[in-house]
Amino acid sequence: MKKSKHPDVDIPVTPMLDMAFQLLTFFILTYRPAPSEGQFGMNLLPAAPVIRMDAAAPPANDANANPDVPAALRTMTTQLRANPDGTLGRVTIEENELVGMDELRAKLKEILDPSQDLPFEQALIQADPQLKYEELMKVIDVFASLKINKISFAELGPNAAGAAL
Amino acid sequence: MSKASGEIKAEPDLTPLLDIVFQLITFFMLVINFGNDNYDQRVRLPVAASAAAVEPGPVEEDRLVLNIDKEGRLLINGAELTMDDAMKEIRNQADIKRRDAERYAEKKKLPKPDPNNLSTNVIIRCDRVTPYSDLYRLITACQERGFRKFSLKAMNAEG
Repeated sequence: MKKSKHPDVDIPVTPMLDMAFQLLTFFILTYRPAPSEGQFGMNLLPAAPVIRMDAAAPPANDANANPDVPAALRTMTTQLRANPDGTLGRVTIEENELVGMDELRAKLKEILDPSQDLPFEQALIQADPQLKYEELMKVIDVFASLKINKISFAELGPNAAGAAL
Repeated sequence: MSKASGEIKAEPDLTPLLDIVFQLITFFMLVINFGNDNYDQRVRLPVAASAAAVEPGPVEEDRLVLNIDKEGRLLINGAELTMDDAMKEIRNQADIKRRDAERYAEKKKLPKPDPNNLSTNVIIRCDRVTPYSDLYRLITACQERGFRKFSLKAMNAEG
């Protein structure tokens, strides 16, 4: 097999393999599979005046309107009351009291009648300060599943009046 | 190297093994996600099936990750900040993002960005038992500093 006069060069592969195994061990030990996280993206604008969703829509080209003041948004208000342990208690959409996510979903479907235009421009969620985040997320989940994406938040005060966010 | 005895010298060929090991190393290097360094593992996210999957955005996407633990404290680089420190941190971050946006606009000869409408995406990773009041305070503080885009994180399935 040795046709030429070149010396037979033997490259030691073993040290390289040792190093490669060390690198492999490092990467295996530091590997943490990324959790399957999702997200709800939203634009939270500063507080804007709100009007009830069943109020008459403001005129589109009101000559007296101040351009610096945003027009009032027709808003569907959802109030979330917490139980003492932070779980979700009473849910109120406008004046309708609901219990549980199924009733909330049914009511929202009723409001979002596909044969009519969307009756509101934003959904305002007023939540109890003690409400756990996971309970809020359940409600956002229902909203998102029904394609209600314009959501704003407010804190529910003791007198149920919240400041819109 | 000398053939003193009549034994057959067995030299295993390590090259294919080395190839495989290098391939494995390459795989693990590629799947390591340095972008998740800001994700604090102490935060247990809530579960929401409708949460949209996160699409891998550009690396240079401007974002600010806020990890909020179950006590409502902001977690920055492993440290737990009190609410006052959290407010300072948000203010500092907003100032940094504002300066960056101005510098970028100047460099690209774009119109001066609105200081009260930062393009930064604030990613909120909040623990599932955190009271709403703490989350609300932090979001309000971000808004007051000009942040407008928010993403609330949740797990797609119980993990």
